[in-house]
Amino acid sequence: MRNLTSKSGSLTPAFFRKEQTAAFLLLFPSILILGVFNIYPAFYSIVLSFFEWNGFSPDIPFVGIENYKTLFTNGVFYNSLLVTIIYSVVVTFGSLIIGLLVAVALDRDIKGKTLYRILYFLPVVTPTVASGVVWKYLFDPTQGIINTMLSYINIQGPAWLNDSAWALFSVSIVGIWKRIGFCMIIYLAALQGVSANLYEAARIDGATEFNILKSIKIPLLSPATLFLTITGFIDSFRIFDLVYVMTNGGPVDETDVLGLMLYRNGFEYFKLGYASSIAVGIFGILLILSFVQWKFTQGGEAY
Amino acid sequence: MVRLIRKESITRRITRHVFLSVGAFISILPFLWLITTSLKPPNTLYSAPLLFPTHFHIENYIEAFQAAPFARYSLNSFIMSAGIVLTQTLFSAFAGYAFARIKFKFSNLLFFILLGTMMISNYAIVIPNFLTVNALGWYDTFAALIIPRAASVFAIFLFRQFFLSLPKEIEDAAKIDGCGKIRIFFQIALPLSKPVIVTSALFSFLFAWNDFLWPLIVTDSPQMRTIQLGLSVFQGRYGVRWTLLSAATVLSILPSIVAFLIAQKYFIKGIAGTGLKG
Amino acid sequence: MKKGVVLLLFISLITVLSFAGVNIEFWHYWDGANGDKLEELVETFNEAHPDITIEPIFIPGSSIVTKIQTASLSGRTPALAISDIIKISLIAETGQLVDLKPFIAKDDYNIDDFYEELLVYGQRDNQLVSLPVSSSNLGLFWNKRLFKEAGLDPEKPPKTWEELVEYSEQIKEKTGKIGYELYTQGGEGTTWQWQVFLWGAGGEFLDPVTNYQKAAFNSEAGRKALQFWYDLIHEYEVSSISPWGLFGRGEAAMVMDGSWMVQFFPMQVDFELGAAVFPHPEDGVPATNMGGEQIFVFNKSEEEKQAAWEFIKWFTGKDIQIEWDKATGFIPVKKSVANDDGYVAYIKNTKRLLLPFVESGKYANARPPINEYPEISDIFSKEILKALHDRMSVEEALESAEALVNDILK
Repeated sequence: MRNLTSKSGSLTPAFFRKEQTAAFLLLFPSILILGVFNIYPAFYSIVLSFFEWNGFSPDIPFVGIENYKTLFTNGVFYNSLLVTIIYSVVVTFGSLIIGLLVAVALDRDIKGKTLYRILYFLPVVTPTVASGVVWKYLFDPTQGIINTMLSYINIQGPAWLNDSAWALFSVSIVGIWKRIGFCMIIYLAALQGVSANLYEAARIDGATEFNILKSIKIPLLSPATLFLTITGFIDSFRIFDLVYVMTNGGPVDETDVLGLMLYRNGFEYFKLGYASSIAVGIFGILLILSFVQWKFTQGGEAY
Repeated sequence: MVRLIRKESITRRITRHVFLSVGAFISILPFLWLITTSLKPPNTLYSAPLLFPTHFHIENYIEAFQAAPFARYSLNSFIMSAGIVLTQTLFSAFAGYAFARIKFKFSNLLFFILLGTMMISNYAIVIPNFLTVNALGWYDTFAALIIPRAASVFAIFLFRQFFLSLPKEIEDAAKIDGCGKIRIFFQIALPLSKPVIVTSALFSFLFAWNDFLWPLIVTDSPQMRTIQLGLSVFQGRYGVRWTLLSAATVLSILPSIVAFLIAQKYFIKGIAGTGLKG
Repeated sequence: MKKGVVLLLFISLITVLSFAGVNIEFWHYWDGANGDKLEELVETFNEAHPDITIEPIFIPGSSIVTKIQTASLSGRTPALAISDIIKISLIAETGQLVDLKPFIAKDDYNIDDFYEELLVYGQRDNQLVSLPVSSSNLGLFWNKRLFKEAGLDPEKPPKTWEELVEYSEQIKEKTGKIGYELYTQGGEGTTWQWQVFLWGAGGEFLDPVTNYQKAAFNSEAGRKALQFWYDLIHEYEVSSISPWGLFGRGEAAMVMDGSWMVQFFPMQVDFELGAAVFPHPEDGVPATNMGGEQIFVFNKSEEEKQAAWEFIKWFTGKDIQIEWDKATGFIPVKKSVANDDGYVAYIKNTKRLLLPFVESGKYANARPPINEYPEISDIFSKEILKALHDRMSVEEALESAEALVNDILK
C-alpha cells in the first residue's frame, strides 16, 4: 500500500525534491564523518597496497601488484583463509542460534529475568584480552576447570588449545561465548517490535510454542537476523585479539586467522604495503559474502 | 495488557531454568575467575581456588586504583564515551531512517559502500586517520577522541534494520496529512525507537569505553589518557601483575554493567509493541 | 615611570626564565618498580640541571614502536625515547635519529665501557644512534622443593644437557611432575629460547660473515639443538607441549626464563627458588640470549639535542647505572658496573638469585640486529614447532625454515 503512496507522491516534482532534501539532510552528518574517517582511509589502504613501506623510512617504492602476487602464492594465506572461514561460520551461526533461543526464553515474565540477562551479557562487557587469558586457564589441560569437570565423569579431556585437532574448535567456542549476549540483545530489541497480539491470535488457533517461533517470530526477526549474520561475518573475519591472546595462531598454524596475519605484517614486521594488501583481500572476500547474503534476503526488506 | 504466558507445567518451568542456569554459569566463568583473582594475595596467584574467592585481599583494589591517576582517566573516558554515544546514536538514527524509508538514487549502492568500510580492518586505517587528525590540529584533544567516531556504520545498519521492521502503515496517515519525512521521523518514528536507541547507545558506549588503540595513538599528555590506557600499566613489559590487573579490570567493567542495567529496562514486552498492528 | 621600569624588568625576567630552560619529553615503557625508580632519577637530574627539564612519559610497552612510528610521520616525536634493542634498526630507518658520535667525541665519553654485543644495535652505517641503558638475559630457574622430593640435591642445578635430562627423568619418576618446561607456544618466545640451545651447541642463527643476510641455523649444532628439544618431549618424555606457566604453578621442576623474573617469581610462587647459568652440552659452551633497552635522540633543535645528550651522559654514568641496576634488577650494560665491588657485594648479599644472570653477561649472544628479525623469528618458530608436533622431521623442519628465511633476506 505504502509503496503506492510514495510512488504516486514522487510524481510531483516538488514532493520529489522534498524527499531528496530530507534524505540529504538526514544522511549528511554521517556521510561527512564516514567519508573523512572511513572511506578516505579505505582508499588510502588500497593505494598503499601497491607500495612497499615499513612506516618509518621516507623511501616508499611503488611495487605494482607485487604484494598481491606474494599474497596469493602464499600457502600461509590459504591456510589462514580456510581457518577464518571455518571460525566465522561456526561463530556467526552458533552465536546467532543460541542468542535467539536465549532471547526468546527471556522475552517473557519469568523469575530472575533481569539477572539472567545480566549474566548472559557479561561476556560482552568483559574486555577481550581478559576473556582470552581467562579462557586459556579454563582450557588448561591439567588444571583447567573444563578437564577437571570432565574427569568427574571419567572422560580424559584433550589438550584443547594445545591440541591440533581441538584448537580451532576451542577458539570458536570462546568466539561464540563472547557473542551470544550481543545476539540476545539485538533479538530482544527486535522482539519488542513484534506485537503481542500476534502470538495470542496464534495461540488461540492452537499453535505450539515451537510453531510460533518458527512461523511468526523467525520471519519477523529476519531484518535482525540479516544484521547479525552480516556483522557476525564482518567481526569474525577480522578477529584478532582473542586468538592472539589464546593461541597466537598455534599450536602450529591451526588457528592462524587472517586478522593475525594482518596484524603480524602490519604491526610486528611493519610491512605496511603487504598488510594493506591483506586488508584489501579480507575486504574483497567480505564484500562478496555480504553481497550474496544481501541479495539472498533482499536487504532484509522481504519479510 | 494481555497476559502472555499461559500457565506452564512445573517440569517445563524447571527445565527452562536448568537450561538457562547452565548457560548463565558458563557465561560468567571468566568473570568469576577475574573476581577471585582480584581478591588474592599475589603469592597465591597460581594456586586454587580459581573460581570462588576464599581470600579477600581487598588491598589489591586500593593499590590498583592508586597505581595510576584513574580518577582522571575515568573522567576522560566518560567525556569521550558520552560524546561518541550522543553523536553516533543521533546521526545513525537519521541515516538509518533515510536508508530504510526514503527512496533516493543510489540508496542501496551508498549503503553498500558504507557497509564496505566496516570490512576494512581497524588496523589498516589508523595511520591515515592519525595524519588527518594531526593536520586538523586535533592531536591530544577530545576532538580527536570523539569526532572521528561520531558516526558508525554498525549503528546505521542497526537503525536501518529496525525501521524496516516498523509497520509502515503508522507513517502513512501522517504522510497523507502532508507531513514531510523529517517531521515524520521526529514525531512518529523516533518515539517508537526506544529499544533500538538504547541498544545502539549501549554498544556505542561499550565500543568507546573499551577502545585502546585510537586513544593511544592520538593522545600524548597524561591529562588526556583514557581508562584502557591506564589498565596497561599492569601489563608490564617484564610481567603482568595479575592480581592488580584483575582488580582494575573488575572496576573498569562496572560502568558497562550499569549501562547495560539501564538499557535492559527498555526490553520489556509492551513498550514498543503497544499500539502497533502486526 | 618607576613603576614602568619595574614592570619592564619583570617582563624581561619572565622572558629570560622561560627561554633559559629547555623542556623535553622522554618516552619509555618501564612500569612498576622500574618506572618509579626512573621517575625518581629524572627528578634528581632535573634538580641538578636547573636549565633542563626532562618529562618522562609512560607508553604501554607493546605499543611504543607504533606510537613512535605515527609520531615520526607528523614531527611529534619526543626528544628522547627508549625501545627494545631489536626494534632500534627499524626506528633508525626514519632517518630522524641523531648520531651520537659527535657528542661522544666532544665530551671524550668512554664508549668502550659498554659491552660490545650491545653496541651493535645502535650502529648504522658510520653512525651510532643509540646507547644501551638496561639489559636482561636468560638463565635456569629450578624448584628446590621438587628437587628435594625427587631425592636430588636442592642446591645443585644441572650444568650440562646430559644432567638436565638425568635430573628431569628422576623428577618425573619420583614426583610425576614435568622435569623441564619448554616454551612451545611459538613466536619469538620459542625462537629466542631455542637460540640459547643453538649457541650452547656452538651454532649461529644467521650468518655474521654475510652481515646476517643468510640463515645459518641449518647446521650440525642446529640439528643437535632441535633434536634435543624433540627428545625432551618424545624420547625422554620429561617435557610437554603445553601452555606456558607450569613452573610457576609447581608443575615443572625447571624452566628457562629471564633475569626480570627474579623480581616476579618470588612474589608469585610458594616454593623456594634457585637460579643458575643455563646448562650447555658437555662438549659445548655456556650461552645466554640478551634483551634490554637502548636510548636514542630524535632530531630536534640544537638545545634539545644537547639537553637530551646531557641526560644520556648522566643516566649511563657508572654511579647512576649502579643505582638503577640495584633498584630494577636489570643486568649491567657496562663492564665497570659489573666489576664494581660494591655492586657485586650487593648482589651476593641481597639478590643472590640475580648473581648467575650477572655472570651470564659474559656468555651473552645477541640476536641479529636487522629489520627482518621479527618476521624471521616467527617463521622459524613455526617450522620447528612442526617438528615438535611430528608434522615434519627435525632435518626437514630446519631445511624448510632455512629456505623460508633466505627467501625473506634475499
